[in-house]
This record gives sequence, C-alpha cells and structure tokens, in this order.
Amino acid sequence: MDTSRSYLEPSSFSKKMAAAIIIVYAVITLIPISWMVMTSFKNVDSAISYPPEVLFEPSLEGYVNLFTNRSRQSQEYLDSLPPPENWYEELVRSREMVITGPSKFLGRYSNSMIIGFGSTFASVFLGALAAYAFSRFRVPLKDDLLFFILSTRMFPPIAVAVPIFIMYRKLGLGDTHLGMIILYTVVNLSLAVWLLKGFMDEIPKEYEEAAMIDGYSRLQAFFKVVLPQAMTGIAATAIFCMIFSWNEYAFAVLLTQFNAQTAPPFIPTIIGEGGLDWPAIGAGTTLFLLPVMIFTIILRKHLLRGITFGAVRK
Amino acid sequence: MAKVELKKLFKTYNKKIKALEDINLTIEDGQFFVLLGPSGAGKTTTLRCIAGLEKIDSGDVLFDDENITHDQPASRDVSFVFQQYSLYPHYTVYENLAFPLRSPMRKLPEEEIKNKVEKIAEMLKITNKLKNKATELSGGEMQRVAIGRALVREPNIYLMDEPLSSLDAKLRETLRVELKNIQLNLNATILYVTHDQAEATTLADKIGVLKEGKIVQIGTPEEIYENPNSIYVSQRLGSPKINILPGSLFKLNNITKIGLRPENIELGNGPYEGKVISTENLGSETVVAINFQDNEILASIQGSYNSSINEKINFDINTNKVLKFDKGDQRIYER
Repeated sequence: MDTSRSYLEPSSFSKKMAAAIIIVYAVITLIPISWMVMTSFKNVDSAISYPPEVLFEPSLEGYVNLFTNRSRQSQEYLDSLPPPENWYEELVRSREMVITGPSKFLGRYSNSMIIGFGSTFASVFLGALAAYAFSRFRVPLKDDLLFFILSTRMFPPIAVAVPIFIMYRKLGLGDTHLGMIILYTVVNLSLAVWLLKGFMDEIPKEYEEAAMIDGYSRLQAFFKVVLPQAMTGIAATAIFCMIFSWNEYAFAVLLTQFNAQTAPPFIPTIIGEGGLDWPAIGAGTTLFLLPVMIFTIILRKHLLRGITFGAVRK
Repeated sequence: MAKVELKKLFKTYNKKIKALEDINLTIEDGQFFVLLGPSGAGKTTTLRCIAGLEKIDSGDVLFDDENITHDQPASRDVSFVFQQYSLYPHYTVYENLAFPLRSPMRKLPEEEIKNKVEKIAEMLKITNKLKNKATELSGGEMQRVAIGRALVREPNIYLMDEPLSSLDAKLRETLRVELKNIQLNLNATILYVTHDQAEATTLADKIGVLKEGKIVQIGTPEEIYENPNSIYVSQRLGSPKINILPGSLFKLNNITKIGLRPENIELGNGPYEGKVISTENLGSETVVAINFQDNEILASIQGSYNSSINEKINFDINTNKVLKFDKGDQRIYER
C-alpha cells in the first residue's frame, strides 16, 4: 500500500478504473471516425465489400475522386491519348476514365472556412462586448434582456427557416457569405453572451478601474486588461461557436446553392457511378474534420480551464 | 502635485444608502492626509469620488482650484493604490509598472519609460523581480509593485486605499517607513485611507475622522489625540483604548461622561481604590485592568508592574488631562 498519498487524492485503483472507463468510451466513440478515415483510403470496391474489410490495400482513389470531375471513355479513346502526366491521372485512367476538371469541393471547403471562422469571430467579439456591458453596467431590464437573449435558443433554429428564407430572398442575402455569417452569428450569439458573461463576472472590476485611472479609456481598458483575462472563456466560447457553424447542415441546404454553399450539404451529393462514391465521401468528411480538430487543439490549453469555469478561482 | 479640495460632496448608492454627506476638505500640496474611520464610514467612497470612479450626487472636486467634477478618471491624472487586485495578472512586473506610462494620454518614449521603471524598482527593491509575471510574486512584493505603479508617475494626487492592510505586521511597518520617506522625498500629495491608528499617526500630516459619511474632525495627529471633539473621535486613536466612564465616578456630577487615557492614570497611591482584574506585559509598558466600582479601567504603566489578580490597588488620575463629554457624546470645553 502506498501510504504517502493524501486522503483527498483518489486511490490508485480508482484512478485505474477511471482510465479504463475513459479508454473504453474513447474506443466506442472513435470507431465510426476511424471507419470513416479507413473508408477514405479504400477503393470503391473494397468500400462496399461484404464482409467489411478491416485490412485492405490503401488507395488514394477517394481523394482523387473528391477533388476531380471525371468522365468514362472507351478504351480506344484512352489508348489514343498521350501517356498520363502524373499519378492521379494514371489512377483515373486505370478506371477507364479521364479527368475533366477540378470538382467543386475546394470551393465549398473554403466557403465553410470563411463562414465558420467569420461567424465565430463575430459571435465572440459581439458576445464579449455585450457580456461586458451586462456584467458591468446598470442596464435597464437587464434580467429580462438576458432571458430574451436566451429564449432565442428555446426552439430549434430551423423552426424559423421559412421566414428567414423569405427574408433573405427579399434582402438579397440568400446564397451569400455575409448572409450565412450573419445567420450563424445570430444563432451563436445567445450562447456567447451567456457563457462570456459568466467569465466577465469573475474578473474583478478593480482591474479596469486601475487601468482607467492609469490613463486609459474604458474601451482601451477592456481590450488591454479585460479581454486577456477572459481568454479562457473566449477560447471555450469560440470552440462551441465554431463547432456549430462548421457542422450546420439544415440552413446551409436551404439557403445556399452555388456561391456560398458550405461543405456539409455538398459532401453527400458526391455521386459515383452506379451508387454513392463512399471513398470520396469518406475523404470529404475526413478533410472536413481537420480544421475543427486543429482549432480545438490550438485552444485546448485555454479550454481545459474554461470548462471548469466558476469552479476554481485562480 | 496639486492641492485637492472637496466641496459639499454628497453621494448616495442606489438612491437610498447615504455614503457621503457634506464632505468638505482641503488637502494641501505636499500634504500627507489620512482618512480615519471604521469600515463603512465612507473612506473608500471619498477616494473613488476623487478618482472619478463614482459619480457624485452633488458638490465639487477641485484640483488646484480647477473644477474637475465631471472629468473622466483617465484625464484626472491621479494614481490609486487599491487594497486588493492591484496588479494586472497577465503582465510582468516591468509591464505593470510601465502600464500607466504607456497610456495613450502620455505617449512617453520607451527609453524614458525604462528609466522611470528602473528607478522606481530600485527604490522599492524589486529590481530582480522585473521580469517575473505578476502572479509569481509574494503578497508583499505584489503590494510594493502596486505602490510602485502609483509612484512611477507624478500625478495630481496619490490615492491609497489601505495599501498595507493585506500584509503581515513586520512588512507593514517596513513599508510604512518607506512610504513616509518616499513622500517626504517627492513632496507628494497623498490621501491615505486606513482604519489602523498606528498608520494614521505615523504617516499623517493631517487626519480627517469620518463617521457614517460625515467628517467629524480634522486636525494633526496630536490634535486628534489630545483634543478630540467627541467620544467617537477620542476612540479612534490610542492603544490601549481610551477609558470612557461616567463622570459621577470621580465626583464630576454635572458631567455625563469623561474620557481618560490609560497613560494618565497613576498606580500605587491616590484617593481611589479598585481591584486588579488582569495585567498584560507588553515589554516597554504594562496594561493593568482595574475594577473600580464595577467599571473596568485600563491603565498603562512604563516598564513592568507586578501585581496579582484581585489585589487591591490605589490610583490617581491626572485631572488636567480628563476629557469631558456631554449627553450627546460631544466634548465640553473648559473656558
């Protein structure tokens, strides 16, 4: 027995139990994701083979198909072409096809980036300002306003899809980046205000008062002193907002078609010959996963403190 | 540095709670002014009104005869040492000290900022901590940096809100001496808030005693100690505390209450006889508690004093030093 531990610390047995439970849970949640990643590296045949193949010969066909448009050609035509210039052309020709041009995926992907990060920035920035005001100033009807802001979350956003659709058509915001950024910002803002208000309340107002006496205006004090200290909350809020606007599907289907279509409504439309092109879809979703993952990892250090906000004071 | 005047200052919180009532005071250029009073007396509110952190209901704040009642805190050019939360935790000590100098209102060249910061760091003996994060300091070091951040510039007035109260006794004494020396060297105008009488008497040129949002007496530490105008003021200074006793006890029948400082009681012989309740040897002096006709009287004697509990003891009082008070606890002055 290890007797040196404090009574408050969990025993090594319960630590091991906790670790085991977490590992089992992680494996369960990771199976679909790893299956998706595996599918992206299969070829069309092994992706739909039965029984499913766990061991397979990796192929980049899914990624090639994701980024290109192709058309099937006769063997004579293919023979008449000059030899393929690079590996992916060779891969496509082995399927008796030629590349006719790049697919729309890259454009949809960058739309997702612009709209996702744009609305996250807007939600966090506006949310921080509103939260600061609610936290520090005597706002008339403060509690009612805060409740009203929260009440926008009490119904599924899609419930107002039709009015928004009509509004956006009238305003010319349909299928625009700006329109989608505004929409996602509005949905996220209530969460951002509430989360950030909690963090702002934790920051003693003496800091801004000291800064104001030291010769800064309130706004300067907000940026120089309050925001850096609210970083924890900002990171947590940014991740929640990012995940929502990055994954949002319903509004994206309804309001975007060409110009501002994001990746979620695009990926399922990748159609192969005689059925869905599962490797390409797998490749699309795998690539789609990466930005949020990287974003979360970058902000992880702040997030860990942020999740426990209110519980610990420095 | 400037002369600071408060004229007919009124302040209420939430339109109900009276915080300050008719505050009038003048702090001369280069004066160390101490506001003394228990918590809730309005000391901090007075500082915050001068700094511009609180809007006042009515009255004027004047710096060198210029009315700045409606100016923003940033443009008033005052510096403030808070009781707590005094440093910006995300900055290093150097950045904390440089923060007021980097304000857009001043725009000093970085070279000059460096010189000033280093000078003040040396004065407060924190030079080796300049690169540390503010959160890595001990309590005493933090408070020294906080005082440094106030002293790094030359504002109209330094406002200090119990800056030493969070420190341990020894450090408090050291910093108290340092602070007084710094003030004398810079000839600084300081308004200092405390409920610690030792700080008040050692630091102050003038003391203002606050009671429930009103100033009840202003004077030098000696005046406040020797010549208080009410029981309330007399109890602010002096350790052990002043004895407040019914006048009839000493055959002063037309006087409701008298105040008697413990050092104005002579033990050994005299017309009055009581019993010893306890003795407390403090080294240079001994405090003897005496039961005299069911009233407890504290007497302090130079050096040590030997007596046992319940022993009978004779004493005399210095009648010239007796303070006389009327029914309303106000001082009765002899003609």
